[in-house]
Amino acid sequence: MTGFGNALRLSSEFIAGIAVGAALGWFVDRFAGTSPWGLIVFLLLGFAAGVLNVLRSAGLVAENGLRRDGGGGRQGE
Amino acid sequence: MATDPIHQFQISRWIPIEVGGLDFSFTNSAAFMVATVVGAGAFLLLTTSSRGLVPGRMQSVSEMSYEFVASMLRDAAGTQGMRFFPLVFSLFMFILTANLIGMFPYFFTVTSHIIVTFALAMLVIGTVIVYGFMKNGFGFLKLFVPEGVPGVLVPLVVLIEIVSFLSRPISLSVRLFANMLAGHITLKVFAGFVTTMGAMGAVGVAGAILPLLMTIAITALEFLVAFLQAYVFAVLTCMYLNDALHPSH
Repeated sequence: MTGFGNALRLSSEFIAGIAVGAALGWFVDRFAGTSPWGLIVFLLLGFAAGVLNVLRSAGLVAENGLRRDGGGGRQGE
Repeated sequence: MATDPIHQFQISRWIPIEVGGLDFSFTNSAAFMVATVVGAGAFLLLTTSSRGLVPGRMQSVSEMSYEFVASMLRDAAGTQGMRFFPLVFSLFMFILTANLIGMFPYFFTVTSHIIVTFALAMLVIGTVIVYGFMKNGFGFLKLFVPEGVPGVLVPLVVLIEIVSFLSRPISLSVRLFANMLAGHITLKVFAGFVTTMGAMGAVGVAGAILPLLMTIAITALEFLVAFLQAYVFAVLTCMYLNDALHPSH
């Protein structure tokens, strides 16, 4: 894959992690009335998940599902 | 409308239909989705109808797209993954054709609306979740528990993995939508510069060459992006399907 495609992919992975964390925290606060702790905790978790997403797409962390029979399917990227 | 870069994304009702207070109108977006499906289907049917043993030029394009998606799926999810070939191939052809149709001037780009790309991403994630539970039962939940993590950290890691999993449909849909939207707006803005500067007399016409060159370059880039985004969507679909097939560690 080209560098341009890679850049777009990594940035969207990171942003999606944070956005989902923030959204989850907001909903938890809304329904459990724990404002602002849900948002704080889930935003931090979302940040961690975003970093994990990026490292995973860059191939620096082992993929979650096994690659036993896939055998390095992401080499071409 | 000539200078408004957002106007091209407006939805207009072509045939208003209302059922029980809900709006089911046939819009320009729906019309271009139909055009995408018909276009992709007709291309594949017509080019392979001769069934030549030695493929002609157009037939080899069809065969290449088949081989391309098939090897992508086999690499990412193994031979078992081939049962999902119809899904992945349809998604790839739909997105690619929709992106390419959007490159025609005055045509509507279906994939520049987030609700369309989000629906496609939810289809993928829904398939992964339903098939994952069907095949592995509750063993599918092992996906969220990585191997070799110290016991104290497990709850934290599981939470992070769940957020990471939930972010997949978002990143999948936002990437496709944002690329198409941003690309088309950029193209329109630079093309708008050409006409604006062209109206400023001789100096303006000379200066308008720069945005014109830029427009040409961006058009080429957009064709690349149209293919690239269809490819990225299909590759990630294959990788997520692999999780459904082999969630254990």
